[in-house]
Formats: sequence, C-alpha cells, structure tokens
Amino acid sequence: MAADLPAARRAPLRRRRAAVDGARGGNGSRGGHPARATLRARHGYAFVAAYLVLLLAFGVLPTGYAIYLSLTNSAGQLVGLGNFTAAAADFRFLPAFAHIGVYLVIWLVALVAGVVGLALLLHGRMRRTTATLRFLYYLPGALAGVASVLVWLFMLDPTVSPVGGPLKSLGYTTFAQVIEPSHLPVVLAVIAFWTGAGGWIVIMYGALNNIPGDLIEAARIDGAGPLQVARRIQVPMLRKWIAYMVILAFATGSQLFVEPQIVGEASLGAISNSWSPNQLAYLFAFQANNFHSAAALSVDLLVLGLICAAIIVTRSGLFDLE
Amino acid sequence: MTERQTGARRRGRLLAGAGALAALALTLAACGKADSTTSAGSSASPSFTAAAQNSSAPLTVWVDSTRLPGVQAYQKAHPRVKLNIVTYNGDANGSNYLQTKVELYNRAGSGWPDVVFTENVNDLTWATEPGIDFAAPLSKGYVAASTLSGFATNALAPCSYGGSVYCLRNDLAQNVVWYNKKLLTRFGYQVPTTWQQYEALGKKVAAQHPGYIVGTVGDAWAPEVYFWASQCPANQVTPPSTLTADTASPDCTRMASLLDTLVKDKAVSTDTVFSADFAKNTASKVLMLVGPSWYGQTLFHAAFKTPAGEIAAAPPLSWAGDSRTYTGDVGGGAWIVSAHSKNLKGAAALATWMATSPAYQATAGTYPAYKAAAAAWLTNQTRTGYFANDVTPAFTKAAGMVWPGWSATKFSQEAIWASTVVPALDQGKTITSMLGSWQSAIKNQAQALGYTVK
Amino acid sequence: MRAVSTRAGASAGRRSLAVSQRPRRPGPPGTAAVPPVRGSRPPRTRRLGGPGRLLWLLLLAAFAAFFLIPVVWLLLAPTKTDSALVHASPFAFGSAHNLGTAWHDLVTFENGALLTWLRNSAVYAFGALVITLVTSIPAGYGLALTEFRGRKLLLAVTLLVMIMPASALVLPLFLEVNAVHLVGSVWSVILPMSFFPFGVYLAYIYFSSHIPRDLLAAARLDGCSEWGVFWRVAVPLARPVVALVAFFSFVANWNNFFLPFVMLPSSGKYPIQVGLENLLSSTPSFNPAAGAGLDVTRPELALAILIAIAPVLIVFLFSQRALVSGMLAGATKE
Repeated sequence: MAADLPAARRAPLRRRRAAVDGARGGNGSRGGHPARATLRARHGYAFVAAYLVLLLAFGVLPTGYAIYLSLTNSAGQLVGLGNFTAAAADFRFLPAFAHIGVYLVIWLVALVAGVVGLALLLHGRMRRTTATLRFLYYLPGALAGVASVLVWLFMLDPTVSPVGGPLKSLGYTTFAQVIEPSHLPVVLAVIAFWTGAGGWIVIMYGALNNIPGDLIEAARIDGAGPLQVARRIQVPMLRKWIAYMVILAFATGSQLFVEPQIVGEASLGAISNSWSPNQLAYLFAFQANNFHSAAALSVDLLVLGLICAAIIVTRSGLFDLE
Repeated sequence: MTERQTGARRRGRLLAGAGALAALALTLAACGKADSTTSAGSSASPSFTAAAQNSSAPLTVWVDSTRLPGVQAYQKAHPRVKLNIVTYNGDANGSNYLQTKVELYNRAGSGWPDVVFTENVNDLTWATEPGIDFAAPLSKGYVAASTLSGFATNALAPCSYGGSVYCLRNDLAQNVVWYNKKLLTRFGYQVPTTWQQYEALGKKVAAQHPGYIVGTVGDAWAPEVYFWASQCPANQVTPPSTLTADTASPDCTRMASLLDTLVKDKAVSTDTVFSADFAKNTASKVLMLVGPSWYGQTLFHAAFKTPAGEIAAAPPLSWAGDSRTYTGDVGGGAWIVSAHSKNLKGAAALATWMATSPAYQATAGTYPAYKAAAAAWLTNQTRTGYFANDVTPAFTKAAGMVWPGWSATKFSQEAIWASTVVPALDQGKTITSMLGSWQSAIKNQAQALGYTVK
Repeated sequence: MRAVSTRAGASAGRRSLAVSQRPRRPGPPGTAAVPPVRGSRPPRTRRLGGPGRLLWLLLLAAFAAFFLIPVVWLLLAPTKTDSALVHASPFAFGSAHNLGTAWHDLVTFENGALLTWLRNSAVYAFGALVITLVTSIPAGYGLALTEFRGRKLLLAVTLLVMIMPASALVLPLFLEVNAVHLVGSVWSVILPMSFFPFGVYLAYIYFSSHIPRDLLAAARLDGCSEWGVFWRVAVPLARPVVALVAFFSFVANWNNFFLPFVMLPSSGKYPIQVGLENLLSSTPSFNPAAGAGLDVTRPELALAILIAIAPVLIVFLFSQRALVSGMLAGATKE
C-alpha cells in the first residue's frame, strides 16, 4: 500500500498509521489506548442508539414474546417442548417441510447463480443498455403479492398464456397440468425468481461498481479473460454481499408464504393452503386460534434460518471488520 | 492477543454456556400441558353478557363492496343513525380475515365492529365458539321471532347454535338445474326431473352431440351441488363437535358412480366454470349445469355472455325411489351482530333491514333468504327479461328443499375438494376411487381443528 | 490468489503485485484510499469478439424476455375487455375505449377509494422512509466503522430478528401497538415499517467493504469530531448505499400488505396493497360470491395493478444513477 507512493510522502503516512493503529485499540497492534477506545465505543453507541430503540420495540420484544408463546400454553404455564411436538404431530407438518425442502434447493441454486451471473454479465460494458436492462429486470419486483395473482393466473394457463406455445410444447395443455403437485416447487421457484432476482441484481451490480476499476484493469493487462476476472477478483470481493444474499434467500425460501398463497388463489384452491410451513403456522394462529403451536412452528423456521446464517457468517466472515 | 482478551474470551464462553444451559432448562421445564384444539369440543354454549348499552352510539359496519350500496341506502333512509362504514374483502375465498381480526381484538379487549357482513356462512362456527364469543344471539330479544320465522326453511340452520340464532342469512344459493332451453329444444331433449334421467341425458348428449356438457365437477363447490343433494353424510356435525364423514355410504357412492359414468363419457367436465380454458372453449357448449341460483346472472349473463332468452331454470332433481327431494346450497352470506356492541338494538335493526327489506334485497344480485324479500326479487328477475322461463317455481321449490344434514364447519369442504379430489380427477382417476382419500382428508382437517371424528 | 503479475509496467505492475500478496479478503487495497487526484480512469470497456458478443446479447435478451413478457401482458390487459382477455391473443392490443372504461370503473369503485389508497400508501411509505434513513445509515456506519462492546451481538440480533417469520410477530406487534393506543392510526403502520434491518445490513456491508478506515482515521487526526467524520466524510461517500436503502425501504413499505392488513381496521386508511386485495375480492372471476352488478372485472384489476406499481417504478428510474454509482468521486460510472 505504501509502496506505490513516492518516498518523500511515506514518512508522514507511517506516523499516521501508527496513530491509527494505536487508536484502533486492539487488533494485533502494539498496545491499545484505553481512553481512546472508550471514546470510540461511546460514539459507536450514539450512532446505533436510534436504531436500537426500533430494534428493541419492533424486533426483540415481539420475537421474545413469540418465543415465550412457543414455550407456554394459554394458561401461562410452561409446557417445555409440548407445543413443538403438537405442531410436529399435525398431519400437514411433514408434507409442508418436504415441499419446502425441494423448493429450497431449486431456489437457492437459481437465485445465486442467476443473480451473480446476470450482474456480472451486465457489468462493465454498454452502460446505457445495461441500465435499461437493469430496470427491465427489476420491473417484476414491483409486483408484490396480490398484484401478481392476476398475472400468474394467466401466465400459468396454457390456453391464454403468452407463453402458451412453449408450455404446450412441453406437454402441458391445461392449467391443472402446469400446477400439478410435482411441478409446484419449480413453478413457485420460477415465480419467486421472477419477482426477487431484479432487486438483488441491482444490489450486486452496485457492489460490483465499487470494486476499483484499477484492479480489474490491472488484471486485464496481465491477460486475464472475463471469466478469470470474475472468478478471481469480482466474486471474492462480492463475498459479503453474496453471503448476505444466501442467508436471506435461505430464510425467505424456508419461510415461503406469498407464492403458494398466490398460486392457490389464482387456481381457486387447487393448492392446499398449508403447502408451506409458514402457511401452516398462519393457519395454526388464525384458523385454529392456537397461537402457541403457531409460535412453535415459527421458532422451528427461525432455528433453521439461524443455523444456515451461523454457518455462512462464520465461513464468510460477514461480521468481521476490515 | 493480550491476557485481558483471552480472559474476556473465556468469560464470554462461560456466559454463553450458562445461557445455553438456562435456555435448555427453560425449554424442557414443563408445568402444564400444551393446548390441544379442544375448543370445538367444549359442550358449553357461547357465553353472552351485553355490554353497557347506549342507543345512540355510532355503529361500525363492515361490508364488502357488493353490499356497500345497500348500507349506504340504509344510511340515506335513516339519517339519524350514525354509521361508520368500512369495506373489506367480505371474508371471501377462505381469506380468514374476519377471524384474524376478531381474535386480535379479543386479545386487545377492544376494536370489534358492530355489524359485519360475511360471505362465508361457516364463520359462525368460530364466531359462536366459547372463548371467542363474537356473535350476539339475535333471538334473545334483538330480532322478532316473526322475522326469524320469515326465512326460508333451514336457511338459518348455519346460524343456530345451542337453541339461539346468531346471524341473519343474507342470501341463499340453492341449487337448481340450469339449462340452455334453445339448445335443449334444438337437440330434442326433455328437461330431466330425476338424477337417473339426468344420467341418461348425459349419455345421450355424449353420443349424439359430443363436446356439449351437462355438468362440471371440477368446481370447488361440486360436493355441495352433487353430494349434498344426494344426502351424502360426508359433512355431518352432531353438536357440539362430532363430525361424521362416511363417504362409503350408499348415498355417496350412488352419486360418485353417476358422476364417474358421465365424466368418462365427457358429458361432465372436470374443469371449473371459472377457468380461462372453460370460458374459452366450453362456455358455448354448456347444455346444462346443476348449480346455485347465482349462476344465472353471475355466470351465464356476466361471464359467459350467453344471449338473453336462452337460459332457463328447472327445480332440483330427485332420486327416483327417494321419498323426499333435497338439494344443496353453495354458500350464501350472513349478517352478524357483535356481542360486544354498545348499541345492540341499532345494530340488530341494521342487520335486519339489510337481510329482509325488499327495498334493498329486491335488487340484490343474489336470491334473498328471507321469503318476502325473495318474492320481490323474483318479480324483479322476471322484469329484467334475461331468462328463457320464469325461474320463480324452480327457485322457490329449491329454497325449501335444502338438506339439513350437511353442516357448517370450521374447515372448508370446498378447499378439501379442490386440493384433494380435483387434481386426482385431472390425472384421470375416478371419484369412486378417490372417496377414501376424500374421507381421510376431511377427517384429518376436522381433527386438526378439534372435532371428534366418527 | 496466484500472483497475477508477471509483466512489469512500473506502478501498474507493483500495484497488482501488492494485490496478489494480500490475504484473500474483500476490501479495497490502499491505492483506492488515495483520492483520485491523479484521475484514475474507469476500466476500459473491453470489446468482445463477434460470437462472444452475440452470446452475451442473446443471454441477456432471453432473460429480458423472461422478466418482461408477463409485464407486457399486464400493460395490454386494460385495453381489452374481460372476454377478450380470454379469447383474443395475449399480445393483442384492444382499444383505447376499453382503457377509458376500465379507468372510469376503477375510479368510481367504492366512491373513489383508489385515490385514497394511493395517498395513504404515499404517506406511510415516505413517513417510514424518513425514519428508516435517519436510523439505519448511522447504525450501519456505527456497526461497520466503530468498535463498541456488543457490536457483534447487535449484528447477530439484527440477523435473528430478520429471520424470524413475520407471521409469528403479528400478535405481539398488535398487542404492543394496542398497549400504546395507536391501533388504527397512521403511526401503527409507519413506526413498525421504519424498523428496517435489511437496510441496516446493506449499510453495514457497504461501509465495511467500501469505505477505507484510513480515510476516516485521517479525518479524525485532522480534528474532526466523530459526528463530523460521519457526516462530512462517510455520508458523502455513501451516496450509493443511501439511495439503495431509501429505494428498498420505499418499495418494502409500498408493497407491505400484512402490517396494514392487521393494524388498520378502517378502509379509509388502507394502503394500495390492501385495497387491491379488496378489489380482487370484488372481481367475480376470483370470487363468484361477489355477485353481478359490480363493474370490476379483470381488465380493471390489471389497470389497478399498473397504477399501484407505477410509483415504485418511477422511484426506481429516478434513483438508478445514485443506486449504482461508484464511490470514487469523479468517476463516471453510472
């Protein structure tokens, strides 16, 4: 880092580095300055204070209450794992998790490969075209929930769909054939990708833009082709973003709710309204009036998501400071 | 790493370990049993104590967009009544909205609306549940007994619990035989009066005019059209919460085999009348449909755009050999008054007016459940001149023939049929072969919601 | 990372050598910390060879078709009648007259409810957006570039709360809001929506990956207070992530269905998403019990959907440049 500056400038920089290291107070430096460290810590709190209030009020408190609900019954007594076993004994529990398992595999692979691939493809050339394309790829993301029921009702029905031709050539001539139970994980993954990819592409593209151009330029001068540049420089530098995306994709995938609801509504009930575990949790809460089983099932999903998050956080260093 | 840091690490690990142990202990400690969904099994009747009453308190009314003009008309006719009108989705299509909100309000202790219109008459099963206690017992002095007896036979059955009436039925969707008179005459057929004749007609149509259909079985409400009419005990609740679902009974199997024969011949479609495919390819080939009274305007007129003067209605079919004729009923809405209302009299007056007044009901889109209003409605229908015959005899006969053995339940029979049987039909299986799975699906759903299943 | 550099080339070679010797961690090397007074160029756009370029174009076009075909269908839907939607070709253009009818039916639905819903959505979305920006950007900065006890705990708790299924939070949130007597008011929607942990993480990742600490250290040594460092150095460099958080917060708020669904009992306060659900239930083909006599059919529904998503797309268009701009001042990247 210091090597590329003319020698005359290096000395003051060295002094600055020493001060900075000292002020950093810890990380493998030559003895911290406790006073400075405390100063930094106080200001750290000031920056996160307002957010902390919101986090406690709308994140921690409700989550805590939900976990409390999962461990108690309506009389307020602790029931140990009773709610969890009750939820698991429901006849819809295992099928829901089976559905979501298959879905997750398809969804994660499609999203990560699709988003990173498309972001890389869009980056670095033909600026105006890619800006337009980014906007076009994002368009479906604006169609949330209810708005897309109508769209998918028509898209999935080969008799009236714009892609009816390709659907028929695949052998599906009726709506019922397209949403057959064995096709559902793929259909829902397609819908989720269609809605969700655009936003992540925007994020990844922005992240790519923040990789210094000099780096890529240097690599190109050294003879690296676009694939190598992508593999060796761009993707590693996107590591934190990709980690974040995988954590969230896993969580949102395992907690799938909107897409099966939408296809269920569009098909006038051909899909069970407990296809996914999150839908089942909703039914526990608001159809059976059993908030405790609902909370238990939600905690199951939370634990799943946390395990995935823990694995990814530790392996990618998402929480590390630079 | 400094000593202080390793010390901190060790302390951190200790804390984390202690925390984990505490969490484990908490998780495994059990002082009580988890709730089972026994709420449906309680034999107590819903409790009701009126809140402090104030006869000039404003009323919050929840309606869907179809009934909104009616409530606005009420406001106009009664300018001194203070109404706060809120539109919502009518709890349609299994939306669960009303139950969600009521449960939240119950926990919060406030916020309930005074009068609610719901399109789903099954809502009364939870609204009268002890513990939820949302619906007020109208028969306990808030609606005159004479008014209550003015409803069609068994129309108030889904509203009745423990001897009291908890809602006013807005409309009936009694099933009649719809047919295209023009086509029928052209083909030279007679309108069937029995199911056996219906089957024979179907076979003839399949042979002589393939492509034309006499019924659909892929609708979510198909069991309410066919199996309810056949008195199949697939959905029979013995109060307080015992469910009988016996699809192997001869009353069920006779209808299943009739439908299978016709499906095989393609005289009955496995599609639903509201699919795009049906609208595009089959709507013009409908010779006959057994279906609810709202098929006339909503389906044939608005959706299929069948020209005026073609569609006619005939009374429900009977099983030759049965002593009585019964028909089914597809839905119908209801007016509920909240048990927490501070103005029960005002709320009941509004609900009664909406359900019974010919001023509103005569122009409604659906057949009124109140007999006097229904007469006005029928006169109006004849005046519009859409139908090829006078639908009055068919509708009035059917309104009195609804079989009381098919109960309102906390789970949706329509959802079960649509997600269990219809996909199987689309794969070529027969209804008879699916009767067992259908029964298990019903029993599973019922048990999950607290019913004892026989 | 295998040493990329073999050729000399003075500073360029040494730069790449420095890069290859670094441990594999994301983050800009020291060169980027130096403000580009020397005018670093953006990377030259590399020209692809013929077949490569064609493949690139085809791939991107294929995905464009995938994303766009349903939207094109939706755009054309209001110009057709309900039966034309089923019978005519999906890509047929109907007539402007149909469009006018659909528009008229829509604005008269429930006495002009559509415009009320749109206005409500705007109030909720912008209200929550302001609070989100004020809380999330400093929080992301604090998490990324300052050290304090519990930093990692805060990150972990934020992640945990993000992963918790929302359906389990409905009841507690409702009880909480009810306890402060806010149920039914706009604050019952704006306050919970302004809690946007996704945005905090975006800001955190951005600040920790793309803002060099040395720059901030230099500013501190020059006498800036902590707040000054944040406001004068970090925030100007953070324009992309501010735009990103603002955009995603706006979209999430605009599209949020469940929270207003639960919190708002009065239809006069519904945002457009809940209103759309109302509209859907009034469409006979989705809800046969809706009954004839209502003018809302599928073309009206399609038009309502287009109106509902228009603000999101407009905001996206306006923030495109800010969203993806690089952090190097003076760089001409888009």
